[in-house]
Amino acid sequence: MAELIRLRDVSKDYASGPEIVRALRNVDLDVGAGELVAVVGASGSGKSTLMNILGCLDRPTSGSYHLAEVDVTRRAADERALVRNRMIGFVFQGFNLLARTTALDNVELPLVYRGVGRSERKRRAARALEAVGLSDRVLHTPAQLSGGQQQRVAIARALVTSPPLLLADEPTGNLDTKTSYDVLAVLQSLAREHGITVLIVTHEPEIAACTERIITVRDGRIERDERVDSPRDARQLALELGAS
Amino acid sequence: MRRAGATVVMAMRSLLSAGGRSALTSLGILIGIAAVVVVTALGTGARQNVADQIQSLGQNLIFVFYQPVAKSGARGVRGGGGGLSDRDARAIAREAPAVEESSVYSDVRTQVVSEVGNARVQIVGADVNYFRVRGFRVAQGREFTESEQQTKAKVALIGQTAIDKLFPGLDPVGRYLRIGKHPYRVIGTLQPKGQSPFEDQDDRIIMPIGSWRARVAPTRGDRVQLVLVTAKSAHQIPAATRQIDAILRQRRGFVEGEEPDFRIRTQDEFQRSQDAIFGILTALLIGVATISLFVGGVGVMNIMLVSVTERTREIGIRMAIGARPADIQLQFLVEAVTITLFGGVMGTALAVGVIELLKAQLGWSMALSPSAVGVALVTSLVVGVTFGFWPARRAATLDPIEALRHE
Ligand SMILES: Nc1ncnc2c1ncn2[C@@H]1O[C@H](COP(=O)(O)OP(=O)(O)O)[C@@H](O)[C@H]1O
Ligand SMILES: [Mg+2]
Repeated sequence: MAELIRLRDVSKDYASGPEIVRALRNVDLDVGAGELVAVVGASGSGKSTLMNILGCLDRPTSGSYHLAEVDVTRRAADERALVRNRMIGFVFQGFNLLARTTALDNVELPLVYRGVGRSERKRRAARALEAVGLSDRVLHTPAQLSGGQQQRVAIARALVTSPPLLLADEPTGNLDTKTSYDVLAVLQSLAREHGITVLIVTHEPEIAACTERIITVRDGRIERDERVDSPRDARQLALELGAS
Repeated sequence: MRRAGATVVMAMRSLLSAGGRSALTSLGILIGIAAVVVVTALGTGARQNVADQIQSLGQNLIFVFYQPVAKSGARGVRGGGGGLSDRDARAIAREAPAVEESSVYSDVRTQVVSEVGNARVQIVGADVNYFRVRGFRVAQGREFTESEQQTKAKVALIGQTAIDKLFPGLDPVGRYLRIGKHPYRVIGTLQPKGQSPFEDQDDRIIMPIGSWRARVAPTRGDRVQLVLVTAKSAHQIPAATRQIDAILRQRRGFVEGEEPDFRIRTQDEFQRSQDAIFGILTALLIGVATISLFVGGVGVMNIMLVSVTERTREIGIRMAIGARPADIQLQFLVEAVTITLFGGVMGTALAVGVIELLKAQLGWSMALSPSAVGVALVTSLVVGVTFGFWPARRAATLDPIEALRHE
């Protein structure tokens, strides 16, 4: 399988006052297309730093990053914006939707920055909302939606541009268990049915158990990288919880 | 281009959602622009007014007046020992090729009595040419004649303001008025001429210069206060001025380069000195306008900075999903410019209202020029770009990770 992500010897230093914090140390990582990966580890271990670099929001201090066989290690701000817009969808713990803006307008936004025309934007945004099961909430604003619904809007926004990579930093951190599985079910189907590579940062083992591969980060290093033999089905888990 | 259009739409939306604050912010610009437009209209109106007044003096007019040399000892020795005279006026008309016509003038303000009242009025002594030279027209009756001038006849013409004072509601022609102990018969009335730069041109009684010198203000010989000359055409005014200067120097014994005892002023010079005054006024106004727009602009910048801080997270989200720094910058710049342009448009509208009100209620002469409106709108745009630039730049250079973590 072709590698979508290839990190080689990536380190990231933060200057924290007079000291230098090594948030990532000599990380090598390969992730293939369509993989569903969990990134786990203690707080402060470097998970978010890793995701920021993978998301082209930040640049490594040293090492190299190839995304879809293109070196994106040291691009200028404009080019990184372009890479994010074309290649990457983000889902955040805090949803990060624009307030006082309808679900449809939120989902449209990446297409605005891609220069897609208005009617095409509306069409694709509506389709993305349909894919996450929110066709009946198109004109709701975030304040009118539940946490799970907001996160599904955020997922629709992340996939409206059909990116090969979706990065989710603690996407279920603000959700109850049942809703977490609902959201996870959507992410699972993206990887399985649409061949999108999905990386999920989580500290919940139950969530990680639904993925195909678990990467454990500790002190800025990848401590373990293991396959999950039989990933659990999030939709099934959600249904069970709903039934009980 | 498409993303620019969509960015503009988004900027408008976020302005609308912060409607009250956006409107308040534009108030500073609104007031500044309104003030500028109103005051400019006032200035343009006043300038036009004064230009009209100067024009009302006559056409291609040249004033010659007596101004004794300050040097002691020289006085009285040369220049015929006094002011200008009828003969000077005639010599100018006769000898200067660029001159169309000349006239003499003297005045004094004094008490005049009529059958129904009395009032202080400007009494003008003039020759028969005066009416043409200064453009006075007879409304009723007639001008005085050459022979009435020769015989120092006790006749007079009267202007509208003087009529209102001395003959309210009466037809003055044929009636008498008394100046000192002498009665004068009113033989004509003057068409109203309005304000000149110096005085109300209708508050006057005009009589033959001979009569004036004999009885109103006893004068030696044929002295006059002023010689009025018209040039043959506007572009002959400089030539006429030179010729008058040469003729009078010769008659009064001043050599070339020496300071003579007379001064020559043209209508053009009045216009130019008025223009200079308005130039200073305009510069002052522009200064005040600049300050008020600067203050308004700082207000806009302040609000935009607050807005950037408040919306840091929004900026982070936009950047994460692919907004380039330029997109963010454009959005905030458009917001700033929209605020100032809105202020500019509303300010102009307010100004138009105020101008119409002042014109209708107070009868002020004001002229709103389209170019003033254009300048106002362009200025508000420039203010928006200038004061919106820094906040927009700040928004655009935010670090997306920091911005996403904000608050
Ligand atoms: N902007 C920053 N400046 C300084 N130190 C940072 C910054 N971001 C992260 N760190 C440090 O890097 C380490 C890893 O942080 P992070 O990647 O956020 O951990 P995690 O997401 O696993 O909790 C931590 O020690 C954190 O304090
Ligand atoms: Mg983290």
